[in-house]
Amino acid sequence: MKKRYLYLLLLPGLLFLTVFMIIPIFLTIGTTFINDHGFSIQGYLDFFKDRYFVEILLTTLRVSLFTTILCILLGFPAAYYISKLKQRKKAIMLLLTIFPLLTSPVVRSFSWMVIIGKNGVVNKVLLSIGLIEKPLDILYTPTAIIIGLVHLFLPLIIVTLVGVMENIETDLLKAAESLGASRLAVFSKVVIPLSVPGLVIGSILVFVGSFTAYTTPALLGGKQRVISTFLYQNAITLNEWQVASIVATIMIAVTVLIISIMNGLAKKLNPKG
Amino acid sequence: MALFTLQDISVAYNKQNILKDFNLEIEKGKLVSLLGPSGCGKTTTLRLIAGFLKANEGKFLFKDKDYTKVPVNKRNFGFVFQNYALFPHLSIFDNIAFGLRLRKNSKAEIEKKVMNVLEIVNLKGFEKRYPQELSGGQKQRVAIARALVIEPDILLFDEPLSNLDANLRVNMRVEIRRIQQELGITTVYVSHDQEECFSISDQVAIMNKGVIEQLSDPATIYKYPETKFVADFIGFKNFIDFDERTDTGGKIELSKSGYSFVLDKDARMFNHAGKIGAIRPDDLLIREKGDAGAVQENSLSGRVKVSTYLGRSYQYVVETPIGDFIVNKEMTESYRMGQEIILEIPRNQMVLVD
Repeated sequence: MKKRYLYLLLLPGLLFLTVFMIIPIFLTIGTTFINDHGFSIQGYLDFFKDRYFVEILLTTLRVSLFTTILCILLGFPAAYYISKLKQRKKAIMLLLTIFPLLTSPVVRSFSWMVIIGKNGVVNKVLLSIGLIEKPLDILYTPTAIIIGLVHLFLPLIIVTLVGVMENIETDLLKAAESLGASRLAVFSKVVIPLSVPGLVIGSILVFVGSFTAYTTPALLGGKQRVISTFLYQNAITLNEWQVASIVATIMIAVTVLIISIMNGLAKKLNPKG
Repeated sequence: MALFTLQDISVAYNKQNILKDFNLEIEKGKLVSLLGPSGCGKTTTLRLIAGFLKANEGKFLFKDKDYTKVPVNKRNFGFVFQNYALFPHLSIFDNIAFGLRLRKNSKAEIEKKVMNVLEIVNLKGFEKRYPQELSGGQKQRVAIARALVIEPDILLFDEPLSNLDANLRVNMRVEIRRIQQELGITTVYVSHDQEECFSISDQVAIMNKGVIEQLSDPATIYKYPETKFVADFIGFKNFIDFDERTDTGGKIELSKSGYSFVLDKDARMFNHAGKIGAIRPDDLLIREKGDAGAVQENSLSGRVKVSTYLGRSYQYVVETPIGDFIVNKEMTESYRMGQEIILEIPRNQMVLVD
């Protein structure tokens, strides 16, 4: 087959995405700028004047940010440990890591309800050893959402980081040691900088995933709305499709913005990586 | 006096001994090479000195202090890796400054030392570049600079030139020797390349199966190998396992399957009871049968079995009653295959090894 016909292989996928994704997205975005009098950005202006919505947007951003930070803090050391294992053990550990992804988010969220609910395991234990006097309100708060999201996305960041860390030559670590670096210095001056690419990709996945997650916040958040549950409420419950479209457009814009900021940050941190 | 000593070191990996009761002493300011085939334990020895590896038994003494348990980062030894191991995320300047920053040198000091060492390795003007932008030879210079700048007590090289092409290898080894002598820094150098080791070392240790077979200056090893392994490794391709050896005054009489040979004893510096004769292909003589100049002494009648043209010389495999010999001879025309000839072992060219 001639090389110039190779692009034909792209066509089926491209066609599918165009019809079912690209066109709908642009239609959705388009409708948000049109009202009874033609082109208008009044919908957006109204939106950002609405304290209730801005609050939801900020909460969602906060939850996503905390989830990302927690995932990095918990995932980085674990990923380093796994990357240092021998091939066989590494495969087993990676399998265990992605195991949570194999269960349904609904099941996972319900199990968290049992654990952190008013009469859940955590509260019972804390009450019985006398650390607290009345049950903590964890369930149906942003904290509950963060716990659920960390559980959901930790595997993602670990797997991404292991991939990058595996490729750090052990001689680099030895070289650093021979130049006088302690274990800690080797980690902070060699391992961390060289893991930046994985850290960026992992963080983007976690952040964007948390920002758009629906099931976990819907089940663990209770009355606490995040942007995706707010969108669902407008579209399905209130039948406000115009509002839902505006929310969707804002989500897309924020996602693109976050990705470009993180990429820019990565370039600064690692000019030649 | 020895700067550092490896004492009765044993290293085992997967229950297999890599080093067993290994001893090595190295003097201050010397460049000592560890030379041997792969798997002989030379890299293990180097990594042991660096501290990357722990010995199962034995001691490592540095300036008479027990360094066996001192961790790598407290040893102050410079290590140069085969694959350079430069930090890809740091500029050349920052790569070299890495060790100085850990030592809390002031900014001005770091600047001065890095520039100074860049001049030593002839890489001035490269400080802002990144490792990916450098050629192999330049990378290795940076690696050497990075190891030198911390003013290490010992410099360790692990096959530093094996990833470079042939021309560059020769240049770099001259450079390494120059820097080593200029700074008078004690150096251990691991390689499997004989020429490389011989050309830059004060002393060469030939290793085999975790044991040093011979440790001497290059000229002595080249002329007087002590064991069959060393002799074979440095190009003595012909061996005769003699039945009997008799030392009489100025000469040594040897016999094999009824054929007797004489060697001049005073030509041998060594003084051991080896009974295996070793001789290089270049040192054997071939004469035409019936040649008037032919000597009877130390001669065997033989037949040319294989003749190979090597460009500058011919290589023959000569069949004799006591075995086959490989002979190199520079000449314009060759002996025919199957030709009957006389093979002579000159009385001062054969060495006796264990």
